[in-house]
Amino acid sequence: MKTSTVEFSTFDDITLWTSLKEGDEKSFSMLFERYYADLVSYGNSLSPYHEKVQDCIQDVFTDIWVYRNSLQHSVVVKAYLLSSVRKRIARLHERDHIFRKATNTDSIAFLLEFSVEHEFIDDDYATKEKVTYLNKLLNELPPRQKEALYLRYHQGLSVEQIAEMLDVNYQSASNLLYRGLLALRKEWKGTFSLFLLLSSSSF
Amino acid sequence: MQKRNTYTEIEDFLSDESFQSWILLKIDNDGWEEWTLESRQRAKLVEDARHLLLAMKVPDSKLSTSDIRRALETTWLKIEEKENQKDLSENSNVKFLRKCFLNGVAATLIFGLISVWSYKNYFHTDNKVVTYKELIDENSEGLVEQTNNSDKPQIITLSDGSSVLLQPNSKLSYPKIFTGNERKVYLSGEGFFEISKNPKKPFYVYANEIVTKVVGTSFRVKAYSDQPDVEVLVRTGKVKVRSNEMISKSDHEEIILLPNQALRFVRNDLKFNKITNITQDVELAQSVGNIEQLSFEFSDIPVSQIFETIEQAYLVDIDYPKDKLKDCHLTTSLSDQPLTEKLKIVCKSIGNNTSFEMNGNQVIIISQGCN
Repeated sequence: MKTSTVEFSTFDDITLWTSLKEGDEKSFSMLFERYYADLVSYGNSLSPYHEKVQDCIQDVFTDIWVYRNSLQHSVVVKAYLLSSVRKRIARLHERDHIFRKATNTDSIAFLLEFSVEHEFIDDDYATKEKVTYLNKLLNELPPRQKEALYLRYHQGLSVEQIAEMLDVNYQSASNLLYRGLLALRKEWKGTFSLFLLLSSSSF
Repeated sequence: MQKRNTYTEIEDFLSDESFQSWILLKIDNDGWEEWTLESRQRAKLVEDARHLLLAMKVPDSKLSTSDIRRALETTWLKIEEKENQKDLSENSNVKFLRKCFLNGVAATLIFGLISVWSYKNYFHTDNKVVTYKELIDENSEGLVEQTNNSDKPQIITLSDGSSVLLQPNSKLSYPKIFTGNERKVYLSGEGFFEISKNPKKPFYVYANEIVTKVVGTSFRVKAYSDQPDVEVLVRTGKVKVRSNEMISKSDHEEIILLPNQALRFVRNDLKFNKITNITQDVELAQSVGNIEQLSFEFSDIPVSQIFETIEQAYLVDIDYPKDKLKDCHLTTSLSDQPLTEKLKIVCKSIGNNTSFEMNGNQVIIISQGCN
């Protein structure tokens, strides 16, 4: 059977959010379909229990619908969803680790490993090497810095939104981002000339 | 796109969506390639940003469209459950309060007993049978009434997409458009209901003394005013049945029916009988209509056969371009979908260039063939 893909990119988030609040099921479904996969991949990076992650995300959406009357009017939908999923997973961790004292969202660590987009590197060997090396550096960063980078450059959140999600002030959030890239930049400026040398000598 | 001329840091590029899609999806709508080549310094910066983006790939969640659909369905079920729970806890609060109240004030109890007694007496002396007409008079909010005087069942499509197959000598009253938080219809006689799913707007069928509540499912209600029993038979989903307040204000007994369960309300003694095995009940087993016998699970079946099945189930005529669709086969599940939904799904599955029109019992399929 042919699977038909429904075109829904024409409505922006806030339009859908507003009609969802008014009880429009279609808008709810559209937002669900738009963000579910993304939320699952983010959720999976916060918890090793992947079956529970989907459960959490569905619960987040359930609450959105059931309590739609008390939702805020102007939100950045994506940031709201990511943050709700994070909180929900943190709560799950609390419940599972009754003996653990820490009960804030700090208790969950960002487990995601960045990978290399191989199919998009059609350059020379040196570039491939370099990208692989950068990838290694990125994955060695502390989890918080990694998560901040992920939220900023993969999910496209603003620094304010990241600060709110990670429960820190604006300055700390921008520090997390800055330090994440700083370590990289330092390393790679040093090695970059070396790479140039190597690649030019090979010709 | 003038913004990018001011970019001086790698970060500026990293957070630029258009830049991201150029690097990661190779979609260059804004002429990044050309722009990069304009200056050497720029080229270096762009190159660094590109490498970093390539090194930051995030694995996909590997979810297919159908995985997401399924997750969405699960979520709607969760919503239904949660809303039911919410209702329940509100109800139990009321009950709790009532209990306290009754316990505390003995006089009220006595008063209550007397009123119940006189209330019952009142209905015993009067006729306790609730008729369709009484129900309609109670709710004269501009209802449309359709009567089936023919000898064949008739299909009615409601404004929410639900369909009702109305049996001969039966009447259905319904609003032209459902407004508010409830969908209410009134039945006299027999009808087979396929309700479009909508947890936030429950669907109620008022039929003589009983009220059937659903959110999305298929079931049959049989309530002829000249017969001693009222019957409800469930085919899919979950259905709640209670008696109409008009006959029992004090008693809010609610009975839940699951698929292939039925209920018989004996009008003389106001009693509910739940029937868990419908094959054992001679009367019910005999009266199963076409639509309840036909299967709507199709795997690699010619479209013509699917249309024929729908024709038999709903007693409609389907007119379709036979030549254009003669080689089309479909695999699909249409159970538990109202008629219009079924047609919509079939048309969508055939291809984008297919649509349908409906006029009474006549359905016309417009198609250029399947792809």
